[in-house]
Amino acid sequence: MRNDLELDAIIEDYLLGKLNAQEMEAFEQLRLSDATVDHKVVSHKFFLASMDTFAEQLRLKEQLSQIHTEIDVEGLAATLRPHPSRVVQLWRKHKSAIAVAASFVVLSLVSIYSIQHSTQQAERYRQLSNKVNNAIKTQNSLIRNIKHNNTTSDKPNNQNSFGGTGFAISTNGYILTNLHIINGADSLYVQNSKGESFKVKSVYTDPQNDIAILKISDKHFSNLSSIPYTIKRNTSNIGEIVYTLGYPKDDAVLGEGYVSSKNGFVGDTTQYQVAISVNPGNSGGPVLDNNGNLVGIISGKPDQTEGAAFAIKSKYILEAMRAIPQDSLGANKLSTNKKSLLSGLKRTKQIEKIQDYVFMIKAY
Amino acid sequence: MNNSLKSSVPTDREVILGILNNSEDTLNKLYKAYYAMVLQFILNNNGDEDDAKDVYQEGIIILYNKIKAGNFELSSKLKTYIYSVCRRIWLKKLSLNSKKTGSITDYEDVFAVEEDVENHEEKDASFVKMQSALDHLGEPCKTIIQDFYIHNLSMQDICEKFGYTNTDNAKTQKYKCLQRLKKIFFQP
Repeated sequence: MRNDLELDAIIEDYLLGKLNAQEMEAFEQLRLSDATVDHKVVSHKFFLASMDTFAEQLRLKEQLSQIHTEIDVEGLAATLRPHPSRVVQLWRKHKSAIAVAASFVVLSLVSIYSIQHSTQQAERYRQLSNKVNNAIKTQNSLIRNIKHNNTTSDKPNNQNSFGGTGFAISTNGYILTNLHIINGADSLYVQNSKGESFKVKSVYTDPQNDIAILKISDKHFSNLSSIPYTIKRNTSNIGEIVYTLGYPKDDAVLGEGYVSSKNGFVGDTTQYQVAISVNPGNSGGPVLDNNGNLVGIISGKPDQTEGAAFAIKSKYILEAMRAIPQDSLGANKLSTNKKSLLSGLKRTKQIEKIQDYVFMIKAY
Repeated sequence: MNNSLKSSVPTDREVILGILNNSEDTLNKLYKAYYAMVLQFILNNNGDEDDAKDVYQEGIIILYNKIKAGNFELSSKLKTYIYSVCRRIWLKKLSLNSKKTGSITDYEDVFAVEEDVENHEEKDASFVKMQSALDHLGEPCKTIIQDFYIHNLSMQDICEKFGYTNTDNAKTQKYKCLQRLKKIFFQP
């Protein structure tokens, strides 16, 4: 027993490195010669290691418990305990998801608002229908005002009327113009370059592209001779010379310029931007190129930029024409495949030829 | 309290370096940083504050040992790691007590930590074994062993504390105790 205890002491001192060199050597000799001693050393080594980890874990646990006492467990538990209300439970459970969703909604609202706001700030689109009978008006409007009063004496003076431009798309009296000119009007008239007025009615409207097709329903109207211009099927390139004939006043006015951008108002791909000075009343006027091909329809201009206008692309004219029964347009309708009669003519001759096909639109 | 807890959340790097350097301050910060998260999880999944304390301390010990072992690779945020470990431990405890584990209310992302938890359980088994061996030892042996091996008291101190006439007597007593302890510990 006594020996065993001494052996244990030596083993421990050996393992802890407390023996001096001589004792060390002697013990190692003993260890080699006696398997039981060697076994005891190994098992004690294992035991000491276990004790070490045990001690370490115990110290760590004590340390953690010490830290734990510094935490206000009661207070935390009170706020984190499952709440009796389901709503609060749901909120806590999905807090992050709800936060993400909410911030997404806020973000999109802000961006929508800012987009609207910036468009508003940048430029406003001014439609070019001519508002007549407005009290604060220029001389031109006043002249028209008087005339209207003369011709339609039975109508009240303060009634608003609008004027614009339109052009024939068939010889039997179909006229294409902007929808915004005739929108909300009670009665519609067109007036040709000779000053003759015909009653028309609206047969087709396309609010998306701001296009309306009118039909002359007046028995005094005699068919036109064949349409001199054709529709351009392709889109026009920037820089192409174009011109328009319109009725910003009672006589036809020519405006000439070029296609300045392939897109219209804030990137609207259904329109061109053209560098032509236009005025109220030009709306609905045809935009033609040098060869007498219809490139588009004047529909508006940017509020802040001078000398620019927007024109609806010609392919939407085709779309609108397809929407009405083909028989009713008659044989001599506006088409894409015929050769334009205006091709190769001087501008003055061209105007002479097309002026009978461009009408002033009057909406009451 | 809550605010001061949140404001002192240490970065993951700070924690790892701190633990490797035995920084008590880091351990303190780490413990306080994520306690609320685990408490919330336990409270909302059929547990109470004491369960939370046990589970959380076990989780921290697992992390601590893993970092100390030097093979800790941070494949996620520490927060996620601690949460996953504590979640795993709690689920095991729940199923051991055959309590309901059907729908677990989660508050954080979770990733697989089964291996770490099982490794820890093995270690913990030897810890429990040593603890019970010490408990079986009886006084004064238990205190002598604890004082010498755990609290690192010298034989001189122990001799004075227990009123032995000289250190040799104390030493003899210690080795007697040690022999008994080893006997109990190595019992299959």
